[in-house]
Formats: sequence, structure tokens, C-alpha cells
Amino acid sequence: MGRSRIEDKAYTEPHSIVEVASKTLSSYPHLVSVTAVHDEKEKSIELIYTFSDFRGALKNISTRIPEDKKTLPSIASVAPAASIYEQEVSELFGVAFDGNPFTGKRVLLPDCFPNDVHPLLRNVKQEDLEKVVAGCMLGEPQIYVTGSSRYSAESVILLPFGPYHPALKEPERFILVLEGETIVDVIPKIGHVHRGIEKIAEGRTFLQDLFLVERICGICSFIHSWTFTLAVEELLNVKPSKKAEYLRTMIAELERIHSHVLWIGLLGYWTGFESMFMWIWRLREKIMSLLDLLTGNRVHKSFIAFGGVRRDVTDEKLNTVAKTIAEFEKDYKKLIDEIMSYEPLVERIKGIGMYNAEHAIRLGAVGPMIRATGIPYDIRKVEPYGAYDEIDFNVVTGKGGDVFNVTMVRIKEVLESINIIRQCIEKMPRNENPVPKTLVIGVVKEGEAVARTEAPRGELFYYVKAANSRNPHRVKIRTPTLANILLAADMLKGYTLSDVPVIITSIDPCFSCMDRALVVDKNHNSVFFVDFNKLRKENKRIR
Amino acid sequence: MADGQRSEHESFDRRLVRKSPWIFHFNSGGCNGCDIEFVAALTPLYDVERLGAKLVASPKHADVLVVTGPVTLQVAKSLKLIYDQMPEPKYVVAIGTCACSGGIFSGGYTVLGGVEKVIPVTICVPGCPPNPKEIFRALEAIYKGEIKVAGGGCGEEQNRG
Ligand code: SF4
Repeated sequence: MGRSRIEDKAYTEPHSIVEVASKTLSSYPHLVSVTAVHDEKEKSIELIYTFSDFRGALKNISTRIPEDKKTLPSIASVAPAASIYEQEVSELFGVAFDGNPFTGKRVLLPDCFPNDVHPLLRNVKQEDLEKVVAGCMLGEPQIYVTGSSRYSAESVILLPFGPYHPALKEPERFILVLEGETIVDVIPKIGHVHRGIEKIAEGRTFLQDLFLVERICGICSFIHSWTFTLAVEELLNVKPSKKAEYLRTMIAELERIHSHVLWIGLLGYWTGFESMFMWIWRLREKIMSLLDLLTGNRVHKSFIAFGGVRRDVTDEKLNTVAKTIAEFEKDYKKLIDEIMSYEPLVERIKGIGMYNAEHAIRLGAVGPMIRATGIPYDIRKVEPYGAYDEIDFNVVTGKGGDVFNVTMVRIKEVLESINIIRQCIEKMPRNENPVPKTLVIGVVKEGEAVARTEAPRGELFYYVKAANSRNPHRVKIRTPTLANILLAADMLKGYTLSDVPVIITSIDPCFSCMDRALVVDKNHNSVFFVDFNKLRKENKRIR
Repeated sequence: MADGQRSEHESFDRRLVRKSPWIFHFNSGGCNGCDIEFVAALTPLYDVERLGAKLVASPKHADVLVVTGPVTLQVAKSLKLIYDQMPEPKYVVAIGTCACSGGIFSGGYTVLGGVEKVIPVTICVPGCPPNPKEIFRALEAIYKGEIKVAGGGCGEEQNRG
């Protein structure tokens, strides 16, 4: 039911993890996440590998490694999706994964962060981290990206792509390896907006964390707080009232519309069709006003509470929602008809960034990205939470992965969401109180729980561990963008530079160019970043 | 202060950005909440473009730097670099509580704090995120020349006309 308490972990020895993982993959082909939990008392780190099939069954495999010998084999050879999850663990906990393709690179933490500080270890104290932050500014960060001679320097150009662009969100940088105009490899560097939320969450109470996790993302904000709530409710053993479930579902669907419509607008921006961007964003304001009406906020709704929602919604407001949604639907259909009959746009996105289902599964893709290939993997359907089990809706799928299909999936999902909202209003029990008596929850008994939901961008995963305390012992968040990033990087290969914006936006991230120049040293076949100021000072090519 | 009493320099500034406060947008580590509200302010319902404002892709063309989100270590230098590349006179608008003070993320191990830690801020627009109307108001204040160029610091709206 979208959430579960972890009780049946399969334990295994660290050295046999690859074998076990590969066996598990045959019946649970989707690697959801790799969660690390530091246990100070036992002086060990527990690694939980969560697998899932496409029908909603989860399998947790756990292994423990001692604090002083933090190495184990990487499972990236059998599950390529693991590479980025393992890398995250390795930077934050200092665990070395033998055979991980990212080994030796910095993907998540800032370049100036000291190599021997692993912030998520429980014994790393806040004061120490504050010192690190203060020290970080002093030095001139200079990092080598790779010293390998994988690419013959004569023929390739390395282009840093990102992390900034005006109309976009999460900054992410991709380093593109170009041969002529064709992309041959892509190295992602994420973490520009890495704010250490998982660590901050450990230092605050459950209630404070509810507002913190909401602020992970301004676009899928409600779904973050909902997923966290699902996990905590599981630990507390409380169930919200029916009306609360319906209200939550309704807000989540409004959010999905706002997110998808925002993205469709940005697609216009990226393909050079700026009027489309303006039209669509104008239409989107209708949805924003509804969110404002229902929750009092446009972006961070702060609507959910453990065991319910924070405020009731009157029938009058529900009627307004029904009316506005109908208007929105009419305008939306008309607008989409117009846009999709504009051939230059369709031609621009058809057959760009092709991938197939098998590929998407191997790289761990989720959400519209995997559904575009025809796999009906939607957590709302396979593991219903909220009121989804009482609602009749279709899972939208496409006919094979490319930007066009991903776009069509999102376009149709908006209509499906409108349908869900309508049913929510119809079926919602009217005379119940969805607001719990108290919002504060105090001490939470020991236990671990996971929760999964379908965020606008795909499957969102939370792991929450409580240890008889007011604060969570560990909160692990696996966001859909992290799951999709490997696929995005892979989709680029073989296409030309001019396709990059369209392909990268198809999963939802952002870029533009600045900060440092990347220099290829011809004589040494090595690649490194040069600080922009240094480049300017020296005013010559660096050899 | 009445218009006539402004120093020459100020009215010059004012004239400069009068019809074209071109904007460069910089997400310094925010959650996108502020970003989408800022972008919403550009789109037809709020429409800062009617003030002649325009989003530009290069800081060298920009008069106004809009920063959203707490400054993370990874972006701090880029932020400084971008600021330095902007021609004078320049305005920095910090949008959202995060950009003003670090907000809910203060204390994070990669979070430096508010924008002020790195570059001088002209106007702070607190809120999480601020309504597009508030963002509009801040840009309008620049447009109308109600606010003096950079360095004022958060909270001190100087020289309101
Ligand atoms: S102020 Fe709020 S909306 Fe803006 S970046 Fe910070 S958390 Fe996000």
C-alpha cells in the first residue's frame, strides 16, 4: 500500500552481494535504491538494497560492513543503475565499491569538500561540518576530472554543459565528449543544489522534517511531504481518515498537472517556440490559483499532517475546483491540439533520443520515461496509496522511448489527472473531519519503514528509520531525477550537439555554460578543469 | 527624497535601467520553488516584460541579477564570477527566504548561507517562495528608480522616493 515497514530483510555477506543481487534481479528487475545506515553502537554500516518488480512487490537485501574496513564489491556490473546510487553512498559514507565506474570521481559533493569527511556518518558532528564549510571558501578549488586517456585528444572536444539556465530548475552539469558534432560520451556532475538535507533531517524533529522535505523540490513539493508522511505513519501506526486520503490525492494530482504543464511549456522554450511557453504557463496559473485556494499556498503547500491534513476544505471550494478544472480542461485540449498540429515542433522531437524498454529498465528509469517505452509502471496502480485504489484511471504508456513519446505520455497524463480530480470530488466523504487532533507526534518508537509514491517525474522512494527518539535516525530519499539521470546521459550518445537541450529536458533538468573552462592537454592526453580566473590571468593556453 | 535632489549619479543609473532592466537568473541551490515563481512572474498573468524586463542568457547583458536559493559551496564561486561579469550599475535581487538568509537549509554541510555572504544584495524578497506579485513589486521598484544601486544590504530599502 505505497508503504511498508521493513521486517523481512534478507541478510547476506558483503562479498557475495553481487551474486545475490544478480539472482534477485531475475525476479525483481528494478533496483529502487541503495540505502546506507550508520550504526554507531555496532560500529558498522548497513547497506540496504531495495529491489522491486513491476507489479509492486519489494525486496530488501541487507548487508553489513565494519566501520574500519568500508569496502565491498559494486553491483554495477549486474545492475548498471546501481552505479550512481553507490556513488552517492561512497561520497556520503566513505564506503568504497570495488568496480564502480564512478570510482575516483566527485559527483555529488562540492569540489572543495575535503576527501576524508563523509558527512552522513553519525559521528561527524555539526561543529566539524561548520568548520569544513568555513574552510571551503578559502582555498581555490582545482579538481581533476579524469586523468584517463580514454579519448584520443586529437579528435575530441569536451564541452562543459551546465549548470545554469534561466528557465530551468535543478542545475546539473553534463560534460559532453564530442567527436565532430556527435556526442560520444557524457559525464554527469550533479550536486550543485545538494544541500545536505538528509543530514539536516537527522538533527530536527519529525514535525520539522515534514516542512524540510517539502522544500526538497518546489515542483513536486507535496508528494515529498506525502511520501515522508506515509513512512512516518507506518512507524506510528496511524491511518488518516477517508476524506484526508481523498484530499491528499486531489492535491497530488493538481501538483502533477502543474508540473507536467510547466514542463510542456519549457519544451516549447527549448525548441524555440516561445509563444507556446507563454500560452501554457498562462494556462497553468489556473491550477496554481486552485492550489492557493485549497491549501493557502501556491508552491509549498504545507497541507499534510501526520494522520490527516492540516485544514479542511469546504464544499464551496470543491465546487470551485470542479468548475475551474472543467475550464482548464477545455482550454488545455484546445491548446494542445494547436501545438501538436504544428509540424515543425513534432518533427523536432520525433525520433530524437531513442531508447528501448530493456535499456530503461537496466538504467533504472522511472515515471514517464519508463512508461513511454510501453511498461505500465506506475506506483499509483501497482502499489496504491491514498485514494487511488478507489479511483478508476488508466496508466498512460507510449510506443517506444524518444522525446516525442515522453511528451505524449505527459500530455495524456494531465488529462488522466483531471479525471482523477473529478472522481475525488465526487467520491469524497463530505462530513468527516480530516484534521488530526494534534500535529505534534513526539517520540517515535524504533523501526524502519519505506514508502513509495508516483511523483510527477516518477517513483519517489523514502526510507525512514526511527530509534525511540524525537528525531529520525536516518532519512533516505531517492528522487526520480536521480533514477533518470543515467538514462538521460545515455540517450545523448550518438546524437548531435543541437539535440542536447531537447533530450536533456525530456527528463526535466537544466543547464547553461559558465564557471570553468575545460582544457584538453594534447601532450598528456589528460583532461582537467582550469579555474576561470587563472585562465584569464595567464591569458594563454595551458600546456 | 524628491527627484530633483538625487545625485547626478543616481539619476543616471535610473535612466540606464529605466526602460530595460534586463535580468539574469541564477539558482544558487534553491528548491525550484522560487525559480518557478520568478518565471511565473515573467509569463502573461504577471508579465514583468511590460516593464521592459527581459531574461538574458549572459550576465554581461544584465542589469539585474536575480538569485534564488541558499548559496551552496559548489556554486559560491560561480555566483561571484557572474556578479563580477555584470556591468555597472547593477542590482542584485535575492528572491526567497533561502537567498535572504539561508532559510530552512541553514546549517547544512554544503550550505554557505544567504547571498549576502558572497555578493552585496540590493533587495531581499522574503517568502517561501514569495508570490509572483511580490517579485513583480521588487522589480518595479528598480524600474521606477526607487532603489539605489548595490550594496545596501538586506532589509534596508534605501532612498525610497
Ligand atoms: S525560499 Fe523556499 S521556495 Fe525559495 S528556494 Fe528556499 S525553500 Fe525553496
